[in-house]
Amino acid sequence: MKNLVAPLALTLLSAASIAAPSADVRLQGAGATFPNPLYQRWVSEFQKTNPTVKIDYQSIGSGGGIKAITEKTVHFAGSDAPLNKKELTALGETNVVQIPTCAGAVVPAYNLPDVKEAINFTGEILADIYAGKISKWNDARIAEVNPGVKLPEMAITPAWRSDGSGTTYVFTNFLATQSEAFKGSIGAGKQVQWPMGQGGKGNEGVAAAVQGTTGAVGYIELNYALANKISFGAVRNKAGKFIKASNESVSAAGAGAAASLQGSVLAANIWNQPGDNAYPIASFTYMIFHKDINTAKNADEAKALLDFLTWCINDGQKVAATMDYAPLDPAVKAKVEEALKTASFKAK
Amino acid sequence: MDDSSTSLSDDGSRRSRRRRLLTFADGALLWGARSSGVLVLLMLASLVVVLAAAAWPSFRAFGPGFLTSSEWRPNELERPMRNEAGQLVIEDGETVMEVVPPEFGALPVVYGTLVSSVLALVFAVPLSLGAAVFLVRVAPKWRIAGPLSFLVEFLAAIPSLAYGVWGLFVLAPLLQDRVEPLLRSVLGPVPGLGWLFRETVEVGGQVVTRDIPLTGRDMLCGSLILAIMIVPIITAISRDVLKAVPRVQIEGSIAMGATWWQSTWSMLRYSRSGLAGAIMLGLARAAGETMAVTMVIGNNNRISPSPFAPAQTMASLLANEFAEASSTLHRSALLQVALILLVMSLFINILARWLVGGSQAHAAAAH
Repeated sequence: MKNLVAPLALTLLSAASIAAPSADVRLQGAGATFPNPLYQRWVSEFQKTNPTVKIDYQSIGSGGGIKAITEKTVHFAGSDAPLNKKELTALGETNVVQIPTCAGAVVPAYNLPDVKEAINFTGEILADIYAGKISKWNDARIAEVNPGVKLPEMAITPAWRSDGSGTTYVFTNFLATQSEAFKGSIGAGKQVQWPMGQGGKGNEGVAAAVQGTTGAVGYIELNYALANKISFGAVRNKAGKFIKASNESVSAAGAGAAASLQGSVLAANIWNQPGDNAYPIASFTYMIFHKDINTAKNADEAKALLDFLTWCINDGQKVAATMDYAPLDPAVKAKVEEALKTASFKAK
Repeated sequence: MDDSSTSLSDDGSRRSRRRRLLTFADGALLWGARSSGVLVLLMLASLVVVLAAAAWPSFRAFGPGFLTSSEWRPNELERPMRNEAGQLVIEDGETVMEVVPPEFGALPVVYGTLVSSVLALVFAVPLSLGAAVFLVRVAPKWRIAGPLSFLVEFLAAIPSLAYGVWGLFVLAPLLQDRVEPLLRSVLGPVPGLGWLFRETVEVGGQVVTRDIPLTGRDMLCGSLILAIMIVPIITAISRDVLKAVPRVQIEGSIAMGATWWQSTWSMLRYSRSGLAGAIMLGLARAAGETMAVTMVIGNNNRISPSPFAPAQTMASLLANEFAEASSTLHRSALLQVALILLVMSLFINILARWLVGGSQAHAAAAH
């Protein structure tokens, strides 16, 4: 036995000595899937300049992220929808920081092989398509906003997200502002009961449903549509202009909401914003953490978290733009910086 | 003498030591096996207990109506309140709004699971039984039966995601572009079959009848994928059941002057309860299959009699909604669906085991 113990002890010692000098700080995050590609890239970029900080973000869904931060099993959570009252209470209302990190948009993709021009939509038209009240592409109301476009007499098959998602949340909330009938019969939320059409799981599921069905229309995230070269239409904004989603038009939608952002828990619905260039179906995605950062074991961890978040809303924004996530407008960024300042580490 | 005696006693002690070691090994093995068995039972029991506890809020909220309601709406609705006469309620010059809480009913997914599984059996059973008869009675044992059995069993090892991808990119477009339009042009005009291609939907208070858009991602596609996935299990078990038919049974029937077809039929009749068990196991697999079905069934929580309309199964509902189910009631309702699925699978499996077991006992008794 003695002969065995000595080498074992040596091995243990050497293992310990390898781990000891690099006092790595580990941060754990979890939540929304929409910003996941961006967050992974942020993590790897941030680690280039901060090699001792290891960050792990798991895209388990916004609901899961909020649950995890409430149970303090992660340092920060990602969520596509801002915290609701109940979630805020569960977290401890005065002990939460919620910041937008970038903005995204939802676009109406469609499959009309013989139509070369981009189709114009309005909120009312989209609401009535999804409610089944407009069932053909050559409907007079669609023709009215698409002068000169030869619309086929073809059935419209709406496609939607069958899984709960922030994409549905933004899309239905925008439609609810556009149509009282939609608000009262289908309503808004991360998941609603659609009266007709087909469901696809994830952006890829909706995209497959749209691309596989002639005459289909479906709502997908802007950056997914751009990355996969899926054609999508323009949507009429509050100012009455037909706007195609782009980083600029989505950032412009965010700018309109800067004034309403106050305190530590920043939340703003940026669909249907005023402004000539604002794209109407846009939303922020958020990061959420505890104001006293007591999810951190020590001051180093807390500092690393604040460093990372500060980096995200500064240098990270340029990275976001290259990946087709709309960067924060300077006015919004200023509010986020103020909110970050309210957080500080208090040991348990 | 001395030498030999010491060597003898040495030998004896070594032997007894070995015996003790063996007894110890026996005991350890026995206890290991016992505790493994108990552990499996405990795991199942804890699964049921945990699911039942988690499903309790939903059960309390909806009661037995959960199984008969078709409403599955995870979001709250805010809409103008209407009185019994259907008129808007207006107080102080403002329309009074009412908030309709979320509602959950499992009927569409229970229906979707049953119909897709039964349709899958309709497609899979003839194919599987044919393949099993071929393997047992027709195929030359070494050159074909062996490799073919291996291939059939290998089909069962393919990840369900692979079936799903194939279904989404090969089967669904094929159904959409070729099969379904053909079926519509042939069956559509037949009187009494119009319901296959038309649906009645309620749109904003009005009832509208319209053509079902043929998308290829529907109940039919889901059932076909399920059929392909359950062929291996039904074929493999049917083959074993048919192999267990005593030779005398077959030789006897041939001696009586039965044709090849008649003797095969008597063989199938002889092992019918075992074959029924094989089919039941296929049914259980179909009912629980998740990933592939989610990709091709269209995911619509609605009951439609047409196989060309999108549908949803219990498993695909869970795959779709569980990750983002943030409200307690939504989560609980999903877990209640999981519990229903578990109980259903349990019953089908018990029935299947009973049928297969019965046939094997029957075969053994005949020997």
